[in-house]
Amino acid sequence: MTRQLFEGIRVLELGTMVGVPYSGKLFADYGADVLKVEPPDGDPSRAEGPFLNDIPNKETSALFLHLNTNKRSITCDLAKPNGKDIIRSLIDSHDIVIENFNPGTLESLGLGYKVLTSNRTDLVLGSLTPFGQTGPWRDFKGSELVLQAMAGPLHMNGDPAKEPIKLGGNLAHYHAGLSLTYACVLARLRVERGGSGDHIDQSVYEAQAGFRDRRAPGLTSASYTGRSNKRGGSLGRVASGPRPAQDGYANIMAGPSKHVPEFLRLIGREDLAEQPDAKKPFMQMSTTFIEEMEASYAIWLIERTKREAVAATQSIGILGGAILTVEDLLNDPHYQERNVWEEVEHPETGSIRYPGRHFVTSGATRKQMKRAPLLGEHTVSVLSDMGYTDSDIVQLRRTKVI
Amino acid sequence: MATKQETSTRPDLPLDGVRVAAITVVWAGPHCTQVLAEWGAEVIRVEPVDAIQPYSRGAERIAPREQLIEMANNGITLSAYPDFDPGDEPWNRNPGFNSHSRNKKSMACNIMTSEGKQAFLKLIKEVDVLVENNVPTTIEKAGITYDTLKEINPRLIMLRMPAYGLSGPYKGYRAFGTHVEAMIGHHYLRGYPDGTPDQTGEAFTADAFAGILGATVITAALRFRDITGQGQQIEMPLAEGFLPNLGEFILDFEMNQRVAGPQGNTHHSHAPHGVFPTLGVDQWIAIDVSEDSEWRTLCDVLDADLLKENEKFTTQLSRFKNRDALHEELTKYTIDIDKYELFEQLQRAGVCAGPVTDDVELLNSPQLIDRGFFEELDSPVIGNYRYPGIMTKWINTPNTLRTPPPRLGEHSEEIYKELLGYSDLEYKELLEQGHVGDRYPDHLLPEFLRSAQ
Repeated sequence: MTRQLFEGIRVLELGTMVGVPYSGKLFADYGADVLKVEPPDGDPSRAEGPFLNDIPNKETSALFLHLNTNKRSITCDLAKPNGKDIIRSLIDSHDIVIENFNPGTLESLGLGYKVLTSNRTDLVLGSLTPFGQTGPWRDFKGSELVLQAMAGPLHMNGDPAKEPIKLGGNLAHYHAGLSLTYACVLARLRVERGGSGDHIDQSVYEAQAGFRDRRAPGLTSASYTGRSNKRGGSLGRVASGPRPAQDGYANIMAGPSKHVPEFLRLIGREDLAEQPDAKKPFMQMSTTFIEEMEASYAIWLIERTKREAVAATQSIGILGGAILTVEDLLNDPHYQERNVWEEVEHPETGSIRYPGRHFVTSGATRKQMKRAPLLGEHTVSVLSDMGYTDSDIVQLRRTKVI
Repeated sequence: MATKQETSTRPDLPLDGVRVAAITVVWAGPHCTQVLAEWGAEVIRVEPVDAIQPYSRGAERIAPREQLIEMANNGITLSAYPDFDPGDEPWNRNPGFNSHSRNKKSMACNIMTSEGKQAFLKLIKEVDVLVENNVPTTIEKAGITYDTLKEINPRLIMLRMPAYGLSGPYKGYRAFGTHVEAMIGHHYLRGYPDGTPDQTGEAFTADAFAGILGATVITAALRFRDITGQGQQIEMPLAEGFLPNLGEFILDFEMNQRVAGPQGNTHHSHAPHGVFPTLGVDQWIAIDVSEDSEWRTLCDVLDADLLKENEKFTTQLSRFKNRDALHEELTKYTIDIDKYELFEQLQRAGVCAGPVTDDVELLNSPQLIDRGFFEELDSPVIGNYRYPGIMTKWINTPNTLRTPPPRLGEHSEEIYKELLGYSDLEYKELLEQGHVGDRYPDHLLPEFLRSAQ
């Protein structure tokens, strides 16, 4: 029996930008039927870019194209009564609804969880907001930068002599969107096993506070000791951390490993490998020993490419990685051999490579990825399926509901 | 065992009745089973007591109190024990471990010994899910790949989370999250725009994503099994679980051949967008302005009439073009104000801003406290402390942490005897031979912890 992982689940996405669309993408990429509702001028991520040839175009925003694969899209103006009717009946015909309106917006439209579940218990409503549906800050604004600053790892990133900096891209929102997805899949499992759905209240702020990139452990140690982690705290290990190689940087953890003698032989310092310090924990090595090891390592590394250096040290059991650029990544033989990139055809961009699957399953199947929908591409077909006539659709378009 | 809440009064959690075995190390695998346990799964952590599993309970680098205080002074607290005191069982007091292991059980078992493997194979018959994140060769060497285990339990769902995959040139590579994030392009992107990658320290983002994604796929695989009757193997390398988070950069390269440089706090159109120094030492506020009206409000809150009138900063485009000058000007206003005061004023006026918050400050967040995010757990070997709680609220399914982090081997007797059917005599033998227990052997411990002293 060949089936996709999320086959049979109908997801309605009332989401914009990153978090909720990423959640919708995860469902869609693994076989759920995902319908995205966009405002008439489109998800704002269509205006975000980067664009093909840097020319703004609603159909070529990299952010939008990436986050909306395998979905269908209709446009609909929720603020208009006819639009609200369309949304209400779409919600009624879907298993999971994911949304990122400000807290209270759905209620004010008469589409709150209580109303929606008056005649069904199986609805899973997943809501994503910056700070949550409740609490003193629920109406505050949050962006990627601000939320990484307030609850994420920003205080720990960067040089202590400079300002703290954020992680790359939109990670806080990807992470919160992933966490929302987990909750929705859990709730759907409960429904399919005979239980009830639920209203899921995911905030980016709490997802960041529980973030495994040091924040949850940091909060635990702060609770234990009354002290906080700080920027630069992880630096200063011996022959370890990002160091310059011939063509960039490599992050190899030599000093703290148990393989220091082999490492010293590898970098041509048999003499040091014989010294007693080579077998001590790095914190107990003498300053002279450390200085000699560091100097020889620096020379060894700068004469090799970052990937060569990592391959050589990995071969003796030392942890490490080459610091790759996006270009390195796309040309890397490992990812190519494992087919992680997937060619996707699009009328505006032609065929380009996307990050494809996130994982490989031995039982469930997965289909070739389909490009993101054009703005409103499926409006007519979806409305027709819902029973709207051609003249209804003309009227809706004329009144700018769709 | 301390139980926080009577399970009988709790609405059904979605993973009630699901049993998970975990042979996980360091962070990614344990984070995955953490979130499974939070939503009802019974998670049994299978861990050796006759060997130290590196970087998991921190037992390979037990430091005395003075050294931990010195490390905290240098900004490292991730291995600091309650009150900096290692106690007699430091492996039960490690915050990195304890932050992901609450709600779990610990079963002493070394899969690399024949006694351990025998018990492990019995356990596999009794579980729905197995999670592991070891180097692929470890599982091969132990002879417990999916092909073997599915013969014992065809309904088994097995999640493997190696760093780079079960195939390919990097199959055998060893890595922590910080090394994975180098190899997936993230480390390079998160640097200072004018700086080099060695200025930015470590990050462990791939662990965070792999943990939750792994739990999501397991849940989906349970649903798949309900429908088809089939178990399966899921191969989710840390690297591949993370890559889609950089999709916009990858597509930009594909469309425009542009290699994105280090991003720092920059934004491609917002200005101001960055962190600004506030009153005090190393205190900052993040401000992110996208619209002109928000900019004028920001100026009003700061009493910055001159800035508001300055034509260089009137429109989003002009602010963006002049962003360096803009940031310099704004700093003059923010530097004398308390970050929390400014944050409240700006947000109440509708400006997107927030203080850069450290761990101790975040423990006091009015928003997190109001939403009940932190929870207390009491344990005889740790004490009574607050922990970061569950990162998702379900409005009709109140959920709390149930049990404190397990002591090493705490649940061995119950699991061996009640679940796996070992007799009292058989269990006693395992105990005498050191296969089960609740301490590592003396020769693996620093002198101050050896039992002879």
